[in-house]
Amino acid sequence: MATNEEILKKIREKFGDAVLETSDALGEAAVSVRRDVIVDLLKFLREDPDLAFDFLMDLCGVDYLEMGGFERFAVVYHLYSLKHNHRVRVKAFVPENDPRIDSVTELWAAANWAEREVYDMYGIEFNNHPDMRRILCPDDFVGNPLRKDFPLQGIGYRESFEKIDRESAQ
Amino acid sequence: MGIESKLGDNILTTRIDSFINWARKNSLWPMPFGTACCAIELMAVLGPKYDLARFGAEAIRFSPRQSDLMIVAGRVSIKMMPVLQKIYRQMPEPKWVISMGACASSGGVFDTYSTIQGIDNFIPVDVYVPGCPPRPETLIDAVMKIQKKIEKERSAQYR
Ligand code: SF4
Repeated sequence: MATNEEILKKIREKFGDAVLETSDALGEAAVSVRRDVIVDLLKFLREDPDLAFDFLMDLCGVDYLEMGGFERFAVVYHLYSLKHNHRVRVKAFVPENDPRIDSVTELWAAANWAEREVYDMYGIEFNNHPDMRRILCPDDFVGNPLRKDFPLQGIGYRESFEKIDRESAQ
Repeated sequence: MGIESKLGDNILTTRIDSFINWARKNSLWPMPFGTACCAIELMAVLGPKYDLARFGAEAIRFSPRQSDLMIVAGRVSIKMMPVLQKIYRQMPEPKWVISMGACASSGGVFDTYSTIQGIDNFIPVDVYVPGCPPRPETLIDAVMKIQKKIEKERSAQYR
């Protein structure tokens, strides 16, 4: 088991210029990076024998609208090492005007549906994803519901169905 | 034992509407459209304690083509609404709809982009059942209201 400090130090040494911030709060190691290194970084984390993060626990999105992130969106990867029993959280920031990032499905097949959910909810596209389409909302849905500026009551989809009345039903 | 022993060798006369309605109301075949917690209460209604069989409505059909009473129990999402409409269309006439619970009737607490705000916006509903979830007695009351409604129907209104 590597300590949080050792994990973060290793990441800083290898990807120094792409690391925006590291933190070790409440016993949890977290690192924020530029999006262009994400596949290399996660591959390194998975394959380095002392780190061996072999398990992608979760992959989700965040909308930092008015919350002071490095960019508007982030994609967050929660990694766990079954071998060494340690964890790390990686955030890759994605700008609003070009919301795309490389897919990690080739590292973990489990990322497939998680990335589709992020695409559905935040509109962040994943390059090289084998099946980039919505997973929860209907295919013809417009908008990305978990964006902070999406209205809670939607933009008319829930009212858009055909009305069947008693006469036409007979 | 039965009524036959009292009747002897006689015949009964009635109106054809009364006869058909009497048969219909005592042999409702519900189609359970259970999408959420209300469906659990619907199952309780069908179970031995509350026993919807007493009202002739125990033959639950999961095929809409064999049923005439749809019980929408639970919230309906935007992805489910086209399915609900399709199932409703597949049911043969005559058919009745019970909207069970706050969610099916009005969206309940889920006033969000993904939840239909009352199925009556899109399909005809005969009886609304209040509650979150409604007690089994309340649903039984709704079935009895449907039966009262059927009593008053004229068979000529269906082609
Ligand atoms: S009305 Fe209440 S019990 Fe019924 S589906 Fe809605 S939340 Fe569940």
